Amino acid sequence: MRVPWTWLNEYTDLRWDPQEAAHRLTMAGINVEGLSYEKLEISSVVSAKVLDVKPHPRKPGQQIGILDAGTEKLQIVSGAPGFKKGNIALVVRPGGTLPGGVRIEPRELDGVVSQGMAVCANELLTGQPPRPHEDIILLPPGTALGIPAQELFELDDWVMELELTVNYSHCLGILGVAMEASALAKTPLVLPEVLEKWNWAGAYGSLEPESHNDGEPEIQINLPDPELCPRYVGKLVEDVRFAYSPVNIERRLYLAGQRPLNLIVDATNYVMLETGQPLHAFDAGKISGKAIAVRSSRPGEVLVTLDGEERELPERTIVIADASGPVAVAGIMGGKATEITGATRKVLVESAYFEPLLVRLASQKLKLRTEAALRFEKGVDPTAQAAAAERAAALIAGLSGGMPVSGYAETNHLQIEPKRIMLHMKTVERVLGTKFSPETCREILEAINFQVEEGGTTVPEGTSILVTVPPRRVDIQAEVDLIEEVARHYGYGNLGIGDLSRVVPGGITDPHKLCVEKIRDLLVSLGGMECVTNSLVGPGDLACLGWNSGDPRGNPVRLRNPLSSQESVLRTSLIPGLMKVASANMRSGIPGMFIWEIGRVFFPSAELPIEAGQIGFASYGVLKPETWLGGPDESGFYRMKGVISSLMDLLGAFNIEYLPRAGMPFHPGRSARIVANMSTIGEIGELHPVCLKHLDIPLPVTASWLSLDGLMSAVKPRDYKAVSRFMPVERDLAVIVPEGVPGGDVIDSIRKTGKHLVSVILFDIWRKPPVPPDHKSLAIRLVYQPQDRTLTEEELAEDRQRIMKRLKEDYDAVLRA
Amino acid sequence: MLSSEGKDESFFISVKKGGKARDFIMRKVCASDMKHNLAEMKSHVLEEISKVSTSEELDSVRVRYLGRKGEISVLLKHIGSLAPEERPEFGAAVNALREQVADAISRRKDELDKLALEEILHRDTIDISLPGEVYEIGGLHPLTKAMREVASVFSSLGFAAYESREAETDEMNFVKLNIAPGHPARDMQETFYLSDNTLMRTHTSPGQIRGMLSLKGKLPVRFIVPGRVYRRDPTDASHHPVFHQVEGLAVDIDVTFKELRGVLSAFMKRFFGQEVSTRLRPSYFPFTEPSCEVDISCMFCKGKGCSVCGGSGYLEVAGAGMVHPRVLVNGGYDPGKVTGFAFGFGLDRLAMLKYGIDDIRLLYGNDRRFLSQFRGL
Ligand SMILES: [Zn+2]
Repeated sequence: MRVPWTWLNEYTDLRWDPQEAAHRLTMAGINVEGLSYEKLEISSVVSAKVLDVKPHPRKPGQQIGILDAGTEKLQIVSGAPGFKKGNIALVVRPGGTLPGGVRIEPRELDGVVSQGMAVCANELLTGQPPRPHEDIILLPPGTALGIPAQELFELDDWVMELELTVNYSHCLGILGVAMEASALAKTPLVLPEVLEKWNWAGAYGSLEPESHNDGEPEIQINLPDPELCPRYVGKLVEDVRFAYSPVNIERRLYLAGQRPLNLIVDATNYVMLETGQPLHAFDAGKISGKAIAVRSSRPGEVLVTLDGEERELPERTIVIADASGPVAVAGIMGGKATEITGATRKVLVESAYFEPLLVRLASQKLKLRTEAALRFEKGVDPTAQAAAAERAAALIAGLSGGMPVSGYAETNHLQIEPKRIMLHMKTVERVLGTKFSPETCREILEAINFQVEEGGTTVPEGTSILVTVPPRRVDIQAEVDLIEEVARHYGYGNLGIGDLSRVVPGGITDPHKLCVEKIRDLLVSLGGMECVTNSLVGPGDLACLGWNSGDPRGNPVRLRNPLSSQESVLRTSLIPGLMKVASANMRSGIPGMFIWEIGRVFFPSAELPIEAGQIGFASYGVLKPETWLGGPDESGFYRMKGVISSLMDLLGAFNIEYLPRAGMPFHPGRSARIVANMSTIGEIGELHPVCLKHLDIPLPVTASWLSLDGLMSAVKPRDYKAVSRFMPVERDLAVIVPEGVPGGDVIDSIRKTGKHLVSVILFDIWRKPPVPPDHKSLAIRLVYQPQDRTLTEEELAEDRQRIMKRLKEDYDAVLRA
Repeated sequence: MLSSEGKDESFFISVKKGGKARDFIMRKVCASDMKHNLAEMKSHVLEEISKVSTSEELDSVRVRYLGRKGEISVLLKHIGSLAPEERPEFGAAVNALREQVADAISRRKDELDKLALEEILHRDTIDISLPGEVYEIGGLHPLTKAMREVASVFSSLGFAAYESREAETDEMNFVKLNIAPGHPARDMQETFYLSDNTLMRTHTSPGQIRGMLSLKGKLPVRFIVPGRVYRRDPTDASHHPVFHQVEGLAVDIDVTFKELRGVLSAFMKRFFGQEVSTRLRPSYFPFTEPSCEVDISCMFCKGKGCSVCGGSGYLEVAGAGMVHPRVLVNGGYDPGKVTGFAFGFGLDRLAMLKYGIDDIRLLYGNDRRFLSQFRGL
């Protein structure tokens, strides 16, 4: 909301500069997001008296006037009705400017020179031509001549831009802001006369003055459904004449962000900006019948709104209807048919309380976010309807725009019980950590127009006060809300800072988390670059990896309202995201990368999706180029398998098996399932060429994933074993096996068969003669180290025989000569 | 190598001639001559030792003079042929010579060993200017780095990490946090829905409820909830539909707003630096009352005002407040007995401010050239 400084100060005379006020308000929760000096870009616009006029010889309707502009006399041509001898006008001197960069130079009008221009309000404020029936600005008789416009009107002003949180809806009127400011600055609040009479600012809300003259309402208001609209006030103003508002009011409306239209509509907007209560003006002459009703829209009902759009009214929209049908969308926008025009003679000012939620829904559905809707949907002061209508009517009368009809029509189903809350000093201290006296609380709350009485001082909690909450403060529901009021007006910064000597560890521990951080550190030291990728992916990303509806990973959880199809489902694997990273980096010329991510993947389930932790890996290309020492270090299946082995070693996850052939997206002959305790906890492999093609990735990529839960389930606590005092003995063994025998199986078999073995390492594979075709020779280094002795040659030979016998039986292996 | 035999020739010749020479010494040499001869022998032997250039040669010199049958040892065997009064003096002189020679040999040995070692060291010298074998290290993502710092500061303040769900019920994400259907605060949340009543959490705040429920009324409650959150914001330099938050919650019999100020101010100083000051500004969240925005003094302009802080000198980095009594009830705690504070901030924003990253998309693009800049500590 925009708050012009001069307007604000009309209600409380702040002795601060605007910057100080903005800071104080912000620190009290009334968030001033911006403060700017709004200067009307005009120059050389001054008061000037028309000394004499004569008609233009050749231009009918135009007058040639001689004007006294104080220091000089000007000949000016004008056709305005107010351009008469003796009137004081506002003129732009030659060389002067109007907003929008409009420059006024002497010009010839059919042989007559005009040295400047007499301006109307629209020209002065916007630089645009006069509106229909708009006369030039006329200044009161006696106005000094040659006085700049800036001194005659409030044109330049500071404007505060408020960014209000939803609880401060009472500040959606400038008076509400003034009330906060007056409390902070300790300056009195001065209300407009009508509102003062209605005790608008009181703790009980607006109250009808006793002397209020009730007339006989000419119009009847039917509220068949109090749920939609519990209170509706209609105030009639007659003898209306069409006019534009005075310059100061128009300028204030502009500064507040509202376009002025005509005196009647401007008065309703002015009062809305002042009090926060939206008003609407109907041309009473165009309302059919003697009654209006507030009801729910009927299917298929349409209304042409003020902006000229024909709108179909959504279901459950509140409408104002006369005998002919809807005439306004309640709380959002009026109808074209009953709008104020030059022909309007009688006006019905509407001031109502509409159900906030319904206004919000209708405003969303109609995509009409009007100032009125904004206020209704936050909840307006439920007591202020009549007061605001009376204020608007008085404003119209004061500006000679019409005569209010005595009294008003009202239907009211609201029973506003004053909200009373007990505020205990003990609770204040318990929440804030600072002791408050009832006097301090009372002073603060009374300054923002709450009413405070001594409360049940005998209650065991100690001193307390009884606080009556003004009905405009719809946000105040409970004691804590009052505590916030006290705290923010006292100043959060004045509450003191607690010392932290009392640090108590709080209950929750997560051993998983510790493991995950260790895994991260290991992967970094193994050269892995951690990635964080989007958990929203597209169905296409999953399809590219060959996951269709037959695979759980092809059945993702779908967002109902995605922003785009590329981010429309929850990831079922970390691999799609890592593929995007790999692809993007390849395209920026990075020759190779080993990347990983730890995050969650999602699968549909009965109510909430299953969320599972996963580690994803991917690598491509040359990780380290060849150097004079050797290399290069290339990514590939075995390198990644090595990383995973290191990981298992770190965690103490043994008994991990690799079984051939993982499914998509892996190459069937270059992939494995990673199995622990008979269940698959991950997969590893090179990507299937078809997937690479779908992903448009030019280089081979190796990828892997591991389930975090699966990994943790494979972790076995390690037992300590005494260190052997005896020297290890190494023996090499070369066995020839048929090509189809998995080398890993041979190694495992040796490990299980041999005795006292501490290490079995495959150090070479040989496939050339003398090894027969379709066979391979595996060179394996065995390290023996029993706990209690050094093995004899006989024992070593015996073990070798045992191993070879097993290998012969299981794999048709022979010892290489 | 015996190179100069010159004036000592006769002596040496006599010595080398074995038995006859002994006769010669016995007969011809008087004590003073003998002394003179020993002195000559000494200078000769010492010179010989100084010229030796290998330890093998030195060893043969040692054997020749000091060995059991070495020339100095042999001298002593004939001490009997001297006059008895001359014997002690002669014996002492020979022994002195013996010691001097042994000493010279030993010193020369040390010298030669040293030279030999130097030779080896010189021979084995390498070109240390050549590059070493590099073990390429990877790196943590800047978000992880920032998260670890956050977690470590809060851990020192007694807050453990609690990981909550990312997919949530409407009930947990809104209702239990005092955001009823139709509540205006739902306007602030652009939500991805999964079904009528399930969604991707829009903040880590439902973790408050789940964390409290998991503690089943135990005190104290003190944890942070780090994790991903989802908002229906199109991607731009400061928005990403998926980003990270950290929620914090403390509940106990004597938790106050004052302590909240202390915790937040301590955190900001530890995370951003001692010079950073923290201020709390009243604000609104449905699940806290009183509520506040947490501003820190802008570290880019030191509070003077710049483009990063929009000229205000302050940066808005978090929201916080005292836990709303209804939220305590929803977590299974009695607001009549306990109070609590909660806070939440965007981890991405914190990391961006700390590392000077100006576009959130960089965090999710994972460009190697970007990531590798965060490899260090
Ligand atoms: Zn700054």
